[in-house]
Amino acid sequence: MSFLEYNVKSTPTGFRKLLFLNWPLTLLLAAAAGVGFMMLYSVAGGSMSPWAEQQMERFALGMAVMLVVALIPIWFWRNLSGVAYLFGLALLVAVEFFGTVGMGAQRWIDLGFMQLQPSELMKIAVVMMLAAYYDWLPAKRISHPFFVLLPVLIVLLPTALIIKQPDLGTSLLLVVGSGGVMFLAGVHWGYFAAVIAAGVALILAVFQSRGTDWQLLNDYQYRRIDIFLDPSQEPLGAGYHITQSKIALGSGGWSGRGFMQGTQTRLNFLPEKHTDFIFTTLAEEFGFVGGVSLLIIYGLIVLFCIVTAVSTRDRFAQLVSFGVAITFFLFFAVNMSMVMGLAPVVGVPLPLVSYGGSAMLVLLAAFGLVQSANIHRPR
Amino acid sequence: MIRTPLRPLAHVLPARARQEDPDSVMRHNLRQRHDQMEIAARQMAESRLLVLIVFIVAAFAAVAVRMANLAHSDGQEPTQQIAAAAIAQSRADITDRHGRILATNFETHSLYAQPPDMVDPAAAARGLVQVFPDLDEARLLRDFTGKRKFIWIKRRISPEQMQAVHDIGDPGLRFGPREMRLYPNGSVASHVLGGASFGKEGVNAAEVLGVAGVEKHFDAFLRDPAQNGRPLQLSLDLTVQAATEEVLAGGMAVMNAEGASAVVMDIHTGEVVAIASLPDFDPNDRPRPALGDDPSISPLFNRAVQGVYELGSVFKIFTAAQAMDLGLAAPETEIDTTGPLRWGRFKINDFRHYGNRMSVTKIIEKSSNIGTARLAQQIGAVRQKNFLESLGLFDPTPLELTEAGGSDPLIQKNWSELTTMTVSYGHGISVSPMHLAAGYAAIANGGRMIRPTLLKQSGPQEGVRVLSERAAAEARMMLRRVVSEGTASMVNVKGYSVAGKTGTADKPRARGGYYEDKVLSSFAGLFPAHDPAYAIVVTLDEPEIMGLGELRRTAGWTAVPVTGELIRRIAPLLGVRPLIEPDERIAITQASN
Repeated sequence: MSFLEYNVKSTPTGFRKLLFLNWPLTLLLAAAAGVGFMMLYSVAGGSMSPWAEQQMERFALGMAVMLVVALIPIWFWRNLSGVAYLFGLALLVAVEFFGTVGMGAQRWIDLGFMQLQPSELMKIAVVMMLAAYYDWLPAKRISHPFFVLLPVLIVLLPTALIIKQPDLGTSLLLVVGSGGVMFLAGVHWGYFAAVIAAGVALILAVFQSRGTDWQLLNDYQYRRIDIFLDPSQEPLGAGYHITQSKIALGSGGWSGRGFMQGTQTRLNFLPEKHTDFIFTTLAEEFGFVGGVSLLIIYGLIVLFCIVTAVSTRDRFAQLVSFGVAITFFLFFAVNMSMVMGLAPVVGVPLPLVSYGGSAMLVLLAAFGLVQSANIHRPR
Repeated sequence: MIRTPLRPLAHVLPARARQEDPDSVMRHNLRQRHDQMEIAARQMAESRLLVLIVFIVAAFAAVAVRMANLAHSDGQEPTQQIAAAAIAQSRADITDRHGRILATNFETHSLYAQPPDMVDPAAAARGLVQVFPDLDEARLLRDFTGKRKFIWIKRRISPEQMQAVHDIGDPGLRFGPREMRLYPNGSVASHVLGGASFGKEGVNAAEVLGVAGVEKHFDAFLRDPAQNGRPLQLSLDLTVQAATEEVLAGGMAVMNAEGASAVVMDIHTGEVVAIASLPDFDPNDRPRPALGDDPSISPLFNRAVQGVYELGSVFKIFTAAQAMDLGLAAPETEIDTTGPLRWGRFKINDFRHYGNRMSVTKIIEKSSNIGTARLAQQIGAVRQKNFLESLGLFDPTPLELTEAGGSDPLIQKNWSELTTMTVSYGHGISVSPMHLAAGYAAIANGGRMIRPTLLKQSGPQEGVRVLSERAAAEARMMLRRVVSEGTASMVNVKGYSVAGKTGTADKPRARGGYYEDKVLSSFAGLFPAHDPAYAIVVTLDEPEIMGLGELRRTAGWTAVPVTGELIRRIAPLLGVRPLIEPDERIAITQASN
């Protein structure tokens, strides 16, 4: 029994719910997606096809999903968390066997009308599961070793499956995002200190083991780290992405070259220009101003999620909102760092802007949860 | 805070009045406690949220600062030029020792198509087939109308072809600049130069990579922008190289040989002035290695460096020189040459019998296997092995060619006394002509082993001494006698007193044993004998010529006259002045001093 259920009567009902939607958040999401449409239009050489149009359709679908999720009471979603988690886990296992191989990694399940990426789904399912778990767990047991081990297993099971795909970026985001949720749930500091220490040790081990028979990462992953540390060592090979996107950012300068004037992306210097590296197009065409504007939109989205989280007294609603905010933050922070050469190139899309179906849908559904938390809080 | 303890009582009293279970009161209290704990937990969560927000803001700031940094500092123009510059730093030229161009670059264009920009794919395909008859119109049309956005059509096209394509007038047909490696002298020095091909290709440039020879060996140097286009200066002399190849080709034709090679090397500096291997190829259009065929008969095969052969009698001088160096014999020491020399099941014979006792000079002069083997027996396996190793005959030649790595000499693992005897006259050890030239250079320059090189040197090398001055001089005198009196009389070029040794080695069969009618004939020597300057090695593969009514294969009839012609041609080019010798004997006395 959570706090909300005692106070159901004080939450809005029927169409009044729409009034209590977090409208600023909705508009910010639309704005970010709008930036995405513009960039996809520009990258395609001033054409709605092949990307912009489909992206719009998906965004419309995603908004509808968000509304549906938002209108359903948050406690329904809490009760569904376990099911969602198990479903996601089943899909991850399924992708091992029936998945489509794309870009050297097995990540998709072909549903006919769209390509489903179970790892995307899992990101939000794990957040829900953790939130539900800490909602259920009495406060005094939070830091008990056994009750810390349980959520760790909840996180590591899907992480292991995602690493196996192999998708290092998503699995790292999953672990860090879940860590954030557990941190906010109030798990004792000591555990985090221990994990960070272990992480540092692992990184050292990874580098020490390189070249030996039992090396811990794939060669391509080592290569990416190498190139990240010094992209100039292979400007035409593995470092190509970073070098080219840095040049694009430099070429954009402060105010950019103007809409549809980006040479870097239009001349096909950048691969993945419509997915993971779309930020370079923005930075080239709208410069620093454009880039910072998108950053501010993202910042405000995170802020509104946090505001929603703090203003509700329900633990599940709160933790889910935090979790969505953290996941979203990690997405764009990692993507932007990657594009600007601050982080290794791990395949992480720019949320809401990059071309991609499942990521968009899942993200909007997640924001639906935040909206639902906002609507169904007692006033 | 004061009300809290009172509340249970307020609940308990009415409950008692209603005769309810006090347990429900307990549960109520418990729930209240939980609520309080939740509030406490949320307060903690809020403090933790603050930590997280600080982290998030820091990340925001880092990204923004980085963005500002990039936007501010890298005010670069779009990368078309940058990408091109990254690929096409132009490759340095290669020149001969006098700065004459051996390899340079040439601006051409590549042709590609961008079907989305095409106005009339059908007309473009038709026009292209007229310009390039080797293209397939139907296939072009399929490519142009298909989904592809970019198609390479031709890697390199001539200016005329470019104009013709230009005249087709389709905006979807584009040209990209291509730097092409050009070898203006055609096949001259082809095995040294090797060749180059395209590496990574972009629209606007393509990498030129060395694939063989010095182009590959010095690839990093040639592409190094820090060298600022400084050419790679080789030790080759273009005129000498060209003359060598010409004479060798003529000699190969006259002697009906399968292949031939020649090395001319400066005995003081180690510079290889000319090195040729026939058949050869044109590095401008380097043939693909034929699969399945024996690689050693391919034109790509560098016989002078990669070809390791049992070279035969040319080795005898090493045995004689070492024997004299060790003081085991003097030039006039008489050696028992009664034949055949038996060793177990093995029998060593001479080509002709010249008597039962011969001086060392005579043994070399007449090329006696038995005499040489007897000398080797006195030297012994260990000393012989050490000496040959010091001459560099056990390792790949240090020449600056990629192919040199494959010139590992074939040496018997078990160096028995029999091996010692056969190696003494050049069987049971396979080395390349380049190895041999380096060994002869050591005899010619007075006993110092020098490292052969393809790069121009500024002065003589200070080599390791492998022979005493005296032994080297005596060996030279013997070599001179071979030419003036012995088997190599046909190389006696007037004015350029040549000294050297012939070798006629039966070619080994693939399955063991030797062919009776196939030989590798060679001449190794030095000139001019009175003041040695160059070492020279010529080999002919399977030569055959009718001489004095007989089919001749021995070196004296094949490799030797070719070498004579070669020296006659290249000595003036090398600036070796002919000695006016009124009488042959005077020259000999001078050489032997």
